[in-house]
Amino acid sequence: MTGLELVLASALRLSVPLLFAALGEWIAERAGALNVSLEGMMLAAAFGGYVGAVATGSSALGLLCAAATGLSVALAQSGMSYRLTVDANVVGLTLNVLVLGLTSYLPAPTEPVDVPHLTVPGLSALPVVGGALFDQPWPAYLLLGLAPALWWVGYRTRWGLELRACGDGPRAADASGVDVPRRRRQAVLVCGAFAGLGGGYLAVAEVGLFNPNMTAGRGYLVLAAVIFGGWTLRGTLAGCLLFGAADAMRLALPALGYQFNPQLLLATPYLLALLTMTVLARRGHGPAALGVPFRRGLT
Amino acid sequence: MRSFGRPVRAARGAEAPDADAPAVQLQGLTKRFGPVLACADVSMTVLRGRIHGLLGQNGAGKTTLMRMLAGLVRPDAGRILVAGRPVTVTDPATATALGIAMVHQHFSLVGRLRVWENVALGGRGRLDSRWTRREIGRVADGYGLLVDPDRRVDELTTSERQRVELVKCLIRAPQVLILDEPTSTLTPPEARHLLSVLRRVVSDESRAVVLISHDLDELAHAADEVTVMRDGAVLARRSAAEVDVGELGRLMVGDQLPAAVAAPAGEPREQVRLRIRDAWATQARRPVLRGLDLRVRAGEIVGVAGVEGSGQGALADLLSSLLPLDRGNVEVDGNPVPPGRPGAMQRAGVGVVPEDRHVSGCVLDMSVAENLAMTDLGPVSRWGFVSRGRLRQRAEATIREFAIGGASPDTPLRLLSGGNQQRVVLARELGAAASVLVVAQPTRGLDAAAVEHVFARIGGLAAQGVAVLLISSDLADIRRLAHRIVVLHRGAVVGELTQATADPQRLGLLLGGRPE
Amino acid sequence: MTDRVARMRPAVPARLVTPLAYLASFTVTMTAVALLVELTGHSAAEVALTLYQGSFADLLSLGRVLDEATALLLVATGAVVCARAGMFNIGQEGQLVIGALAGAFVALRVPAPGWLAPVLTLGAAAAGGALWAGVAAALHYWRRVNVVIGTLLLIFLASQLVSFALNRDWLLQEATPAGQNRLPQSAVLPAAAHLPRWGRYPGIEVGAGALLAIGIAAATVVLLARSQWGFRLRLLGLNPVAARRSGVRAGLVGGGALLISGGCAGLAGGVVLAGDVHRMQGGIANNLGWEGLLVALVARHHPAAVVPVAVLFGALRAGAGFLASTGVPRYLVSVLTALIVIASTLPAAFAELRLRRRPGRSRS
Repeated sequence: MTGLELVLASALRLSVPLLFAALGEWIAERAGALNVSLEGMMLAAAFGGYVGAVATGSSALGLLCAAATGLSVALAQSGMSYRLTVDANVVGLTLNVLVLGLTSYLPAPTEPVDVPHLTVPGLSALPVVGGALFDQPWPAYLLLGLAPALWWVGYRTRWGLELRACGDGPRAADASGVDVPRRRRQAVLVCGAFAGLGGGYLAVAEVGLFNPNMTAGRGYLVLAAVIFGGWTLRGTLAGCLLFGAADAMRLALPALGYQFNPQLLLATPYLLALLTMTVLARRGHGPAALGVPFRRGLT
Repeated sequence: MRSFGRPVRAARGAEAPDADAPAVQLQGLTKRFGPVLACADVSMTVLRGRIHGLLGQNGAGKTTLMRMLAGLVRPDAGRILVAGRPVTVTDPATATALGIAMVHQHFSLVGRLRVWENVALGGRGRLDSRWTRREIGRVADGYGLLVDPDRRVDELTTSERQRVELVKCLIRAPQVLILDEPTSTLTPPEARHLLSVLRRVVSDESRAVVLISHDLDELAHAADEVTVMRDGAVLARRSAAEVDVGELGRLMVGDQLPAAVAAPAGEPREQVRLRIRDAWATQARRPVLRGLDLRVRAGEIVGVAGVEGSGQGALADLLSSLLPLDRGNVEVDGNPVPPGRPGAMQRAGVGVVPEDRHVSGCVLDMSVAENLAMTDLGPVSRWGFVSRGRLRQRAEATIREFAIGGASPDTPLRLLSGGNQQRVVLARELGAAASVLVVAQPTRGLDAAAVEHVFARIGGLAAQGVAVLLISSDLADIRRLAHRIVVLHRGAVVGELTQATADPQRLGLLLGGRPE
Repeated sequence: MTDRVARMRPAVPARLVTPLAYLASFTVTMTAVALLVELTGHSAAEVALTLYQGSFADLLSLGRVLDEATALLLVATGAVVCARAGMFNIGQEGQLVIGALAGAFVALRVPAPGWLAPVLTLGAAAAGGALWAGVAAALHYWRRVNVVIGTLLLIFLASQLVSFALNRDWLLQEATPAGQNRLPQSAVLPAAAHLPRWGRYPGIEVGAGALLAIGIAAATVVLLARSQWGFRLRLLGLNPVAARRSGVRAGLVGGGALLISGGCAGLAGGVVLAGDVHRMQGGIANNLGWEGLLVALVARHHPAAVVPVAVLFGALRAGAGFLASTGVPRYLVSVLTALIVIASTLPAAFAELRLRRRPGRSRS
């Protein structure tokens, strides 16, 4: 394997959990709901997914458990902040602490799980990109279906239109007959399921074990990716790939004999997200009502 | 199945729709907001094939009445018949299903979405962009309303947005179309075009249109029937043949303007305290002031009359440091004051009693004493610290003087009744006005005795040489207190009346935008 | 209309509703934690006893509690100031490490006489934290970048910045003899820069930082309630429009509150550095920033209530260290912490829900 191939394969491998979670966070932010609890959703799902996979002996069921676990954290988030009206950031932070505590406290099994790779015959032997693109654990290929599907749901369905209206102009959406808190709750739940897949993939397919705090800030990384992508789906996914690549380079470059500042590589995603916001914020990119609570009747 | 509305629910036990029945009958609708009776036993019939004008001043209850029909407000009593069948309109979606559509003044388009997406929002079934665009094209062509379905609403001008709103309503093929002040932000040619579209809607398709307006000319020309509302009740109905603009103006304002009970306190002096020159301003992309000129002399009480959107609110915001100007300037006592800079007007000696006290007048979660001292901490502080003792002392004196009931200095303002909250704001601003006092709707929510007290205070301040701007929709108040009355229309002064020349008809005509 | 004082009339006497709601909320929480402990095969009573022994049982432990509570108190006080101005700073974890970094840099590089060294160290720490929060404030007022997102992202930049400095011998990395493994940490601070401590093992030890934190908390209580600045700050937080009309400049007062909040977090970092750890390490923040923020939330942004809550959370942190010795994972304390926060927010949220659902309320 050449160095480039190595970096490429590792970049893609590191991006996959981010990509899953980013799909969910993207849809939630388009509805105006900023989920600081994404980290907690992913971590809880990594735990739930791994325990599920060990208990059932099936990686598919494990991923299903992961999605369900992510969903349950999302249920807490959406219920507390969009049914009750506790500040969404407060809820998010608290849930992160809770999940970190719970998943570290609860005893987890230690037997490794393994997920079969799906190798596309012929193509996987392609030089440079073959290994990266055509030899991954099978759940990674779910993304090929999920990403276009979510784009279609977001831009081509009435539900998606109503979601985006809730993020951009909740008052106008309300006047047009859209139930804003309800749509936001639904968006957060969808986010939880996707974040669950991401966390589950990390534990079940990528590492094969659960370690305390194994997501290590990936949820925040995804938040940065959505911002970096200017709240477009394409940009968000590109952000995840870029951030995965930065991480891969940090890991691979020393082994290949190159010296590059690892701290800068780790800081890149956040730096890029801040820069993006600085450039875009004034120009009206992104949902206008992101993180703004909606209350009916207030003008 | 795709559609722009939700399917009509069959009304239980209802007889078949009657083709000859009026499009809408409102019977005895009553709605109360807290202590305010917004609509009192209002009945009204809207016929097919007619443009029905609904005329009235601010607070006359016309918008509330129509919001009940559009499902945005639930009536306390009365019933609504659509095409002869009694219905309950619980929410906007039900209204749409019943064939009722309303073009609002604010908040009904999402800026970041495209035109076709906005039109589709609130509809049902599969989202079909091609079909929606085609439908938009069909409706737009049919009525001569030029809209580009693929542009973002953000990028549109005010009149383009208005067209989108209208298309969004018309595409749902409503039997009844309600428009709330649709022409207030349009230029005259744009307004004429809009009215011609409405004419087509009623004459070619025999739908019904309700046009809420306070523009007398507009109603005289465009409406087939006019209902005049005042103080939450229907005052008169006139058909097009009977309409006389002068009479409408008089009806809107009220016949019994009290004769000037007493001469306003004192005589104005020569010194000009407040001067606003050629003020232009926009708020939320809408032009709110268009070349406003105003001069108030020391000791003078100037009444500012105007209907909603005429610039009354913007004038108060300007003098509250909340509205920066695009052009023009403000001088207080001959010194220029930078408009829009926090607290600048306050420091220049301008006191403002705002119309909506909860937005800018007071802080509900602070105590009465703190609210009284809010705008000027100087007299109650020493070394940068607010003295509790002085704060309380001053508050106690003010509470006694203004008879603010149920309040001790430490009571949170939230626990006071609306009337007493209003007194707190009044007390503070009357005390703070060194040069200029702006009072918006001062008597709203006060009882008769309190009104007398407030009027005496305003008169007293004027006698001491303070310039007073009295912004009110209660013309009786203005007439009682003011030396002269300026009338605003579309963000500028359209006319000026003195006590002697202020008769209801002239005032009504000016309010409706008809300078003599 | 009548001018009576409007009061709510629930079935339970009004003054008892809130305390009862909180009591119920905390009872449920404690039961949940006890169940969790029992279900995982440990004894809830034993855990409670251990937490007590590790915190309040003797003077030595009490000193440990105070150390933990000091940093929490500083962070939480800053968070309260910020929240009262209507800004939500969640980046204390980052501001804290930047503060510690700045403090370490000054302490190691700037020679100063005895009494001045700790002052300079703490001053640099506060300035560092304020600067880091200032970045978010500047982005907010200049480019309208959301403060929550801004301060959050800056946490991760801060930790990489610290890691960078601790891996460069020309910056802060400790010089080690050739052949030894080089650790990402700074040299030990010169003794002059250490904060004084009073008391002696095995009695209670009280650091100067604790007195400083109490002093700042007390000053905040007084300033918020009594000073013109505090008045304007509360005004801004409660009603920005009325504040603007009254002459409060949002950028100055609100941005200032964010700087103060960052400064307090930075100071907390400086106190941990100069009072306890005595050398800069990557893990110096150890969640103090996050938990300080939670302290402010549980205290419902009352500057006086912050003190007991900080002591409670400090006790939990100190007790957590003891817990490991009994075989119960210390992470149980994180669960407990989070549940306490949730329990403290729910009663108010439910009260608001009831208010919203009450029929016949008009909008005003």
